[in-house]
Parts: sequence; structure tokens; C-alpha cells
Amino acid sequence: MNHWKISRTVSSLVAAAMLTLFTGGAATAADTPANFPKGNVTIEIWWHEYGPFTAYVKELIQAYKSVRPNVTVNPVVTSSGDINQKLTVALATGTGPDIMDQDASFYELYYAKGVLEPLNLEVFGAKSYDEVLARYTPGGLAAGTFGGKIYALPYQGNSMSLFLSNKAFEAAGLSPVKDAPRTWNDMIALGPKLKKVQGNRTVQKAFDFPYHSPRWEMQMFQPLVEQFGGKLLSDDGKTAYLNSPEAVKALTLWRDVTKATGDPKTTMNTPSNPNQDFIDGRTAMWVTGPWATSQIRQSQLKDGFTVVSYPQVDPAKPHTIVYGWMWGVNKAKPEANKIVAWDFIRFMLSKPEEWLAKAAFVQPVKGVSETPVAKSFPFFDVHMRDVATASWYIRSEFTNEIGQAVGRAIERTVYDGVDPKASLDQAQAEIDKVLKK
Amino acid sequence: MPVAPLPTQAPRPATAPAAPSAGRRRLRLSLSAKQAAFGIAILLPTLAVLAIFRFLPMIEAFYLSLTAYDLVHPPKFVGLANFVSLAQDPLFLKSARVSLTYVLFSVVPVLPLSLGLAVLFNRSLFIKNVLRSAVFMPVVMPAVVMAVVWTFMYQQDGVINTLLGWLGIDPIPWLRSSSSALWAVILIGIWRATPYYMVIFLAGLQAIPADYYDAAEIDGAGDWAKFWHITLPLLKPTTLLVIVMNVIVAMKVFAVPLIMTGGGPADSTRVLPLFIYQTAFEFFDMGRAAAMSVFLFVGVMLFSFIQVRMFTRGDEQR
Repeated sequence: MNHWKISRTVSSLVAAAMLTLFTGGAATAADTPANFPKGNVTIEIWWHEYGPFTAYVKELIQAYKSVRPNVTVNPVVTSSGDINQKLTVALATGTGPDIMDQDASFYELYYAKGVLEPLNLEVFGAKSYDEVLARYTPGGLAAGTFGGKIYALPYQGNSMSLFLSNKAFEAAGLSPVKDAPRTWNDMIALGPKLKKVQGNRTVQKAFDFPYHSPRWEMQMFQPLVEQFGGKLLSDDGKTAYLNSPEAVKALTLWRDVTKATGDPKTTMNTPSNPNQDFIDGRTAMWVTGPWATSQIRQSQLKDGFTVVSYPQVDPAKPHTIVYGWMWGVNKAKPEANKIVAWDFIRFMLSKPEEWLAKAAFVQPVKGVSETPVAKSFPFFDVHMRDVATASWYIRSEFTNEIGQAVGRAIERTVYDGVDPKASLDQAQAEIDKVLKK
Repeated sequence: MPVAPLPTQAPRPATAPAAPSAGRRRLRLSLSAKQAAFGIAILLPTLAVLAIFRFLPMIEAFYLSLTAYDLVHPPKFVGLANFVSLAQDPLFLKSARVSLTYVLFSVVPVLPLSLGLAVLFNRSLFIKNVLRSAVFMPVVMPAVVMAVVWTFMYQQDGVINTLLGWLGIDPIPWLRSSSSALWAVILIGIWRATPYYMVIFLAGLQAIPADYYDAAEIDGAGDWAKFWHITLPLLKPTTLLVIVMNVIVAMKVFAVPLIMTGGGPADSTRVLPLFIYQTAFEFFDMGRAAAMSVFLFVGVMLFSFIQVRMFTRGDEQR
């Protein structure tokens, strides 16, 4: 074995050891918390449907049974579109699960409503919340931390990066590596080269912003505003700045990029298949998360894609976005169930490299990049670079309302030609009313 | 030989029986009262189900409309604040406008279309049953499936734009433009409702006695005169039923805009039921959503009342 191989093996082992240490490690009989219930306990876990994710969590449930034979974990899988409503109604009627899976942006709301149980430090073998926070990348737990306590742990914290179709680039005489765009101006310049129109029909868009859901629209709009130096919401979540000069610049840029590169009137993307146009070759460039990698590799594109960093207004001051899904525990459940619930969450999250290998989800835990799985994951370094410059998707009790107001503003400008300032003024007026509640 | 008549009643006892005690006194009911009691008895289970699953939630909705309720904390009484705030909310007013546009333009064309098809299928027609079944297909198709299929048909490269292309018409961004999306959704409403109401009209047509047409024919009436002076007047109750039902169904349209457009672009297809759903389960404002439901309920009741009055006024005067 040469020196390189030895050092690589050693570094992988060190990374694995660090991960185990950082995440609290997999549950074993030896590390059973003192207050762990000895009698039989049944808990229920709800999560949103995504094939590889569902398969892996079911696998984890089986594995947990061998470690904690007195615990039964009942799974309930529901579609991502429905989980929010189902969860909210269930929590309201006292029939919610012990462990909930929810989009990170909703935890602020759940915290405000008082339905979350804080992380059990004893279960995680930590003396303080800071100790747990230190196991994660900077800001990695920001979406689940309120009032100095951790209430939710992410199993995925996705960057948004730019995926390029090698085939489309090569067909236009471009190199997906050398000619990859770094700025939004680069995107505008690439537009005419990659956009294909036959008669009045756009048969290939150079790039397209998402229009299939307000959530995705917001996901793209927020970093644009931040790249111009603005923000959409105050730190306390009580004031919105939807019509700030930076937001107006962002929407103007959105409109201009769309004109040069896309055609919002044609898309097959849907909330359950947001990457469809890119996969089918109708879009040459598309912004999505690392989780899309396996889906893209299984499509006709196979490995014919390149991932580069999220385009910037000024590459010297990069701003990107991170969003994700997190596990939380229902405060209304009996004490024994809550201990078991946090124990199972710790068990589930104890192998971030498995999450990456089996579901292509990146946990914002220190040391993930050093694992062999991460090193063999396509463009993992690009995703991590984008995570490093990211802010979390806005967190507010009124995330949905803000997302919808922004989505409407974008659509008014893009579809109806309304001036960006006027459109955002309307969005601001809508949100001011909501925030006054 | 005279035959003794058969006894029609049990022989009376020689002595009158003692008066029954109060506890054993049996209630003597008339036949009509017995029939009514029997009717109520067999209706009770259905009424109970309706009361629990329909009326109680409705009453609850009325109560919730007077509260601030976020689904997690207990409802807080706020009086008419939700209604006052709705009256000043441009999003709600726009949604109500979208709903009214949908109702108007999906109900009006359905009447002549469904009646026309019913008249057509009431005649002897080659492979009539096959055609009837084919026309009725949209009614039996689940709304979700229908919405997905139409979404594909409305795409830039979908079948509709392809057909338009053959006629030299540029592709229309059916669901991707705020000026066309609502019309695209209305078109589906018409497509789905027409065959359903055709069946109702067909039943109405078949209930008209043939004698009337025979008499009119003897008097020399043509097809149009027979339709205008016999068919249409006798179909009046059916027409009323079709209009009232159609308005109610159109007011409640939900699945198709939810799946096809999510209410967009720019709220152009956000009908009231969709906005109610979003307010309740996406914005967690159950009190406000309940107030919108009450508004919708009152609107539907008002529409139905006006229609019934309009259709029955002539009859009362006669």
C-alpha cells in the first residue's frame, strides 16, 4: 500500500470516528441513557415520501429494533405536499406523531405554537446545547435553534447549485467547465447560445427559474436579494423588506435573466418532479440540490452533467441558500416516548455518510466531506462550497404567506409584465397585514 | 240452505274486561301516524350520520368564523373581526371575483350544451348507447386524473397547441399566463359538467308525454315550435335543478385548480375554496377560513334562492 493510500485510509477512519463522536454515535446497549424506559414503548414517526429516503428510514427502524428491543417504531409515510396540513391538524387534535419530519422553515411556526420538545441532552451525551451545536457546521442548526435551545435536527441541509447539461453545452460549441457561468451576467450572455427556438416554440431553454411552486420561487429569490446586500425579513421575523431597493433589483434581474435565457410559459416541472425539464433536456442549466443527483444519473443524462456554484451578482461576495428537512419531537407525548423519540433520532442521524450514500442527503455535520462516500459523490465539493456561503431559507411564523406573496410578485412581473417595484409594493402591503396579526 | 256468515271480528267477551293499568296502556295511533313513525325510524340512521358529519361541522364552522384559531391554541372569540377584515382584504376580494367568473362562465355554456346533447341523444341515433357512454366518460373520471391529463394537454407541446399549430395558430400558454389560465380551468369545468347535466336533461325529456308532441304535430307544429312551446316549458323544473346544482358545484370547484395551477399564475385561478383551504391549512388561520366558508355558504344559498324565486314566480302568478 503506497503512502497516498495509507494516508487516505487513515483520514477516512479519522473522519468516520469524528462523525460518530460528533453525532453522538449509534445507540448501543452500553450508551443507554439512565432514564431510558425499561418497559415496552411504542412511538410513531411521520415523514414525507421520497423513495430512497423512505427505504433508508425503514431500514433504520429495523436496525433500531435490534438495539432497543423494547421499542416499537410505527412508520407513517405521506406525500411532501400533504405532510404540512396533516401534521398541523394532527398536532392540533392531539393525535400527532412522536417524531415529526418537516421542512426546516416550519419549525419557527411550531416553536411559536409551543408544540416542540427541546432536544434531550442526556440522550445525546452532551452537557449543553452549545456542545451539540459544535458538532455541526457553522449555522447548520440555525433553523432548529430557538431561544438558545435546539428543537429540531436536520437530516438534510441542501445547497442550491447550478447543474449544467454537458450535451447542451457541447451542442452549442461550449465547454461545461471552461464556459460555465459564474455570474448572472454570464447567464444572460449564455442565453442566446443555449436557448433553442423553433418557430414560436421554445424547444430548449438556456436556464429557467422555477415556477412550479411559490416555495421554489422563494428559494431562488432570497439569495438574489442577499447577493444585492439586502434581506427579506428582520432577524426577529417581525418586519418584511419585500420592496426594498435590493429586492427590486433582484426581481428586475430575475425578469432580465428570464428574458434572455428562459420561457416561463413552457415547463413540465411540478412540485413532485421539479427537475423534469432538466432531465428531459428542455433546460440546459438548472438550479437544484445534491439530492437530485441520483435522479439525474438515472435519467437519459446519466453522468453527462456538471455542477458549478450558484451564480452570483458579485463572485467576490457569494451568497447562496440552504434549505432542508428536520426531525422534531412532539411535546404533547408522554415523557418516556419523548426520550425514546430523541434516542431514535440520534440513532437515525448517527451515520451521515449512509444518508449521503442511500438518499443523497447532506447532513450539515462536521467531517462529512472527509468520508469516502462524500469523496466519491459527484461535485460534493461544489455543494459544500455553496453551503458554506448560504443562509437558511427564511424562517418565520408566516413562511407560507411570505413565500406566496413573493411568488405572486414574481409571477405578476414575469407573466403580466408588471413593474418589479409595483409588484413588490403589493407583496409588501399583503405581508404587512399578515405580520400585524 | 242459508250459510252462517264467517265471523269478521273476534267474539266479544261476555263481560267487559277490567280497564288496563296505566303502565300497560298502549298508544293507539292512526295509520298515517304509524306510517310517519315508520318513516322517521328508517330515516333516523341517515339523519344521525348527516347531523354528525354535515350539520355539526357546519355549526362548528359558524362558531369558528367568530374566533381567532390557529389550530394549536384554543379558539379565541373575536366577534365579527374576521368578516370585517375579509371585506377589506384585496386577496379575498380577488378570490371571490375569480370564483364568480368561474361560476358565470362555466354554468352558462353548460345549459345549452347539455340540453343540446340530451335532445340529440333522445332521438334514434346510430350507436346511440356507445356515443352516450363516450360522452359520459368525463363524469366518471376522477378529478385528479382529469387534472393531470389536461395539464399535459395544455402544455406548449401538448395536443391542444399541436392542433392549433396545424391551423396556423401560435401556441397558447394555457396555464402559464394569468390571462388564459382561468379560461383553461373553466373549459375543463364545462367539459366535465356537460355530460352530467345532459343525463339529467335526458331524464326530463323522457318524462314528457309523447301525446303532446303528437297533438302538436296534428296542429302542424314544426320541430322548433314543438321544442319552444312544449319541450322547454315542460323542462322548466329540470332546468332549475340543473342551474342550482351546477352553480353549487361550480362554487365549490377545488381539485382542478389546486392540481393544475395551485391558484396561479399571480392568483388568477385562486377560487374561493382553494383560498379557504390555503388559509386553513397553509396559513393556519382557521377562524378566517371559517369566515370565508360562511361567506361562500351564504353566497350559494342566496344564488339558489334567487334562482328558485325566478323560476317559480311565473307559476305562482298562474
